Amino acid sequence: MSNTSNGESRVKVFFESLVIVAILLVLVQMFLEDFAVISGWNMDVRRKLSISGFFFDLFFTIEFLVRLYYASVNRKTMHYLIRERGWIDFFASVPLLMFNSGPTTIAILLKGSTLVNVSGILNILKVIKAIRIARVLRFLRIVKIFGKIKYVESKMAQRHIANITTISITVLVFSLLGISILQSSLGLPGVESRIYGEQLKIAKAIDKLATSDEGLNRALENADMFTDTLLVVKKDGKTIYSRYGNGYYAENFGPGDYSYFAKDGLELFFDSRIVSVASSLQNIIFFIIVLLTVVAFLVFYSPHFAITVTDPLHIIERGMSEKGYNLEVKIPSAYAADDVFRVAKLYNEVFLPMKDKFSTGEEKPLLDIEMKDIQDILPKG
Amino acid sequence: MILEAENILMSIEEEKASSFIKRLLGNPSLSTLPVLQREEQIVQFLRINARQLYPTLSSANFFPGKSWENIFRILIKTVIDESNRILFTELDRAIRERIDFAFVRFIEERRTDIESMKEELLAFLKRIMAKPEVRKNFSGPYTSFQKNLTVRYIDEIMERKKYIFFELFKVQKLKMGKEELQNYIKANLLLRPSVHLLTVTDKTEGIGIQSGVVHKQFTDKVFNILRNQLKNVPEALLKSALDSNLSFIEDKGTEATARLTSIFASRGKNYREVKKVERGADSPDKSWFNIARRNYKFYGFDINMLDELYKIAAENGW
Repeated sequence: MSNTSNGESRVKVFFESLVIVAILLVLVQMFLEDFAVISGWNMDVRRKLSISGFFFDLFFTIEFLVRLYYASVNRKTMHYLIRERGWIDFFASVPLLMFNSGPTTIAILLKGSTLVNVSGILNILKVIKAIRIARVLRFLRIVKIFGKIKYVESKMAQRHIANITTISITVLVFSLLGISILQSSLGLPGVESRIYGEQLKIAKAIDKLATSDEGLNRALENADMFTDTLLVVKKDGKTIYSRYGNGYYAENFGPGDYSYFAKDGLELFFDSRIVSVASSLQNIIFFIIVLLTVVAFLVFYSPHFAITVTDPLHIIERGMSEKGYNLEVKIPSAYAADDVFRVAKLYNEVFLPMKDKFSTGEEKPLLDIEMKDIQDILPKG
Repeated sequence: MILEAENILMSIEEEKASSFIKRLLGNPSLSTLPVLQREEQIVQFLRINARQLYPTLSSANFFPGKSWENIFRILIKTVIDESNRILFTELDRAIRERIDFAFVRFIEERRTDIESMKEELLAFLKRIMAKPEVRKNFSGPYTSFQKNLTVRYIDEIMERKKYIFFELFKVQKLKMGKEELQNYIKANLLLRPSVHLLTVTDKTEGIGIQSGVVHKQFTDKVFNILRNQLKNVPEALLKSALDSNLSFIEDKGTEATARLTSIFASRGKNYREVKKVERGADSPDKSWFNIARRNYKFYGFDINMLDELYKIAAENGW
């Protein structure tokens, strides 16, 4: 019986440790994925980073489903989703797998042969870009590691710090997500709309010239002069212009790096990497803001919470429950008016002296030795 | 023949009791405690856990067929014997080596034979240790002595030259240096429980059972007996040690050395070495002095002394 539970707890510890390692790794992966876009890393490396992101999301989705399953078996679904912050596990896995890393990986795997194959997915990728903001919710998963950090030994401190971090980051993420959605639905100006607007103008100009083959050919001959973003032009499914060879596209362009326009058998592909870079830059800035927020809570707020709330309470608890514990609570003058320290003052000035007076008359000393200390000479059972 | 068998049986029992008690005394959680605190711990441990211990201790391996009262008596005797063996060696060292009795020439005009005084003191202390009341009340001052709790405070007192210094050197008119004062207080600590020479299990008239304070008439009575028994011990030392049991609230004329001894003897009671103070807690001495300041009337401490000692502890993080 106890062997089984020992085995189960070992598996649980292993699983929890694995999750913590995965959380730390996925944060590195997340940063590198955007950094690779900004730095113009080889597509092969970017592809691998994107695929690894897919596996992380798959892992976290499975983890979420397993936790949800066990919670529902134990009739604790709501407890898991709300009290244990299962909703963070959900938002940091399932939507990302479905709308971010999943479609990106499919696009990568389908990149195959021609640009046309990818074009159908490009519009979906625009949605993905907005969803990507939600990836920083993964930072909330590191709240799980809070307990192992100095100053946050108490469950109460862990819960409070986790709550305040969750509220801050969630508000940040959903505000930005809302702003992104509002921006695109209201057509507010941004890098993306400016670039796509310019590309649309070019596409319309080419379309005007495309009324005759001669006009189209002339326009394409001088294409380099009026735009450096036009990559490929197809007429009735046939490539009539390509700025680079297929190998170059394979090496430097990934899903989301193109924009696509089509009208009456005319298809135009534009270089949108500047949009991807701008988006990745925005992601990295957001990543750093969230990282700094989490670190600030850990480095500045946790000790403050411990010093002003949990530490004095812990000392009071020990003094009240342990006979021989008579240390006073240290009251910082800056916080002396706080409720906790007002209670601590009463503990110092009323409770401890009273405890001391009453314990003086007792004959019994405070015992440092217990039965378990001589257990080996006592009969078992 | 029967007598011989009984003797053999007794010595086997003693051996068993001794090995059991040594086992308890050797417990790591007791290792840092002074011997009398260890003794108190074991006696209390045996009392509290009698029901669980009896089946084992009455088994064939220990004391078969004996009642708990008999077993308890054998074990208590063994604990006291074992403690005495250690305590007397320590006292021997304390009197002969650890206390420099050079201070005696500053408090006694007549020439004192230091060596005779040491012998007399040692013999007296060993003798009064047979009294349970003395043993019980010796623990606090002895811990204070063993752990040198007074030394660093006396250093500070001498440097600050504030209330305690004034009381010692201007009011009590002591004429001695720092080292001598330290030794004087140490000797006071060792002699303090001699007030229990005339007490019987805390029921003696004149002793506050809880606070441990004693009335002046009582100490005077003990003093008169002791000055005849300890002829080589300076009267000032004897009086100061006995007066450390008085309440300063009731006897404003109590010597400063006695008041200081009273505070540190009390500090030694239930004293535990704290290696690292927990975050959020004040240091042990600062906490203790602050609590003592609030209970000064109850224990009969000099509040001004406590204030100064509290400040010293707070400023030094003790």
